Amino acid sequence: MTTLDPAVPEGATRARILAAARCATRVGCAVAALAAAGAAQAHFQLLFTPETALTGAQALHFVMVFSHPAHGGPTMQMGAPEAFFVVSQRGDDSEPVKTDLKSSLMPIEWQSKDGPVHAYEASLPRNATRSLGDYVFVFQPAPYLEKQEDKFIQQFAKTVVNVGGVPGNWAEPVGLPTEIVPLDKPYANWTGGVFRGVVLSDGKPVANAELEVEYVNYPLDIDVHRFAADAQVAFPQGSFGTMGIHANDRGEFTVGLARAGWWGVCALNVGPKKEHEGKPLSQDAVIWVQVRDMK
Amino acid sequence: MRRVTLGLALLGGVLIAGFAVAHSAVCTCFDNGDQTVTCEGGFSDGSSATGVSIRVFDAHDKVLSEGKMDGKGTFTFKKPEVDYHVIFDAGQGHVVTIDGGDITE
Repeated sequence: MTTLDPAVPEGATRARILAAARCATRVGCAVAALAAAGAAQAHFQLLFTPETALTGAQALHFVMVFSHPAHGGPTMQMGAPEAFFVVSQRGDDSEPVKTDLKSSLMPIEWQSKDGPVHAYEASLPRNATRSLGDYVFVFQPAPYLEKQEDKFIQQFAKTVVNVGGVPGNWAEPVGLPTEIVPLDKPYANWTGGVFRGVVLSDGKPVANAELEVEYVNYPLDIDVHRFAADAQVAFPQGSFGTMGIHANDRGEFTVGLARAGWWGVCALNVGPKKEHEGKPLSQDAVIWVQVRDMK
Repeated sequence: MRRVTLGLALLGGVLIAGFAVAHSAVCTCFDNGDQTVTCEGGFSDGSSATGVSIRVFDAHDKVLSEGKMDGKGTFTFKKPEVDYHVIFDAGQGHVVTIDGGDITE
């Protein structure tokens, strides 16, 4: 059973209260409504590479940007990342192998709507994916201080790449404090299908976890380090940009994939650690899903 | 999965056909840069390639090297100095041929 969680995101609540207070004139009301709608956007730690279903070994280029992908921003400044690694496995023949990739991280300036912000990228040589199988890439950023809410956010992001169509460990946890474990391959999804997963904290399912789902509405241009200028989709209302859903009592969720491109799923405040540097900490679990049209 | 299906396959030919379309064989090879080449095999359902036959031929179909995929689903051979191709043979409908010219580091 899914229960309605009265704890809506604090920032949204606060913005709505402020909006109501400001709503003294018609123009004021309109501005306040926009501010409230803006607050409904969700933070997402992007871990993006253009293609997740590879036919063979190839060099990979990742970018790590902390943004609001349904709205193309605002994009946040990132601190020094804590970890970047991959756990790979080819079929039943091999054990999962963890490879540290932190030394491949390079700082970049992402050209956001509000000016350049700190982000990261990584280029991996072709031989990093020379084996068949799954590659579960994990990016663990530094906790981000959300000043509006006076709390830290740390999102453990996973992107799964496959080589050659031989499966491996895509459905296995990698042992993060919190993570989303797929029930469907994140790299093999048709438009109109669904993606399912399980939210874990300390390896255990999180019943009724609160999740946010966003479509990457402004495609990433990873060569010039910016989002596309134009949106792919117009949202009729705030609920469509950031879609709020809940997991069931086994921590499982299902997301409909209505459009080709990239979808982000984020489980909010599910990690075991709740405090960082004397302030509240929300440890979130993010997974990225690539979707393509049948054609 | 494959082991279970193979067990059922003993019951009749129809199931074998079903098994044949249910997954596909995959093989990839890379030049190790030390005059050896390593090939990896697998199946689209994740089942093991251990024991699958693999042969290396020259342009005249003479066998240069042959063996079976090891416990890790790999096979390493000395890189031929002539044009060659590799055949990963997991049975009917599961044969993968790789041209030596496509095998790079």
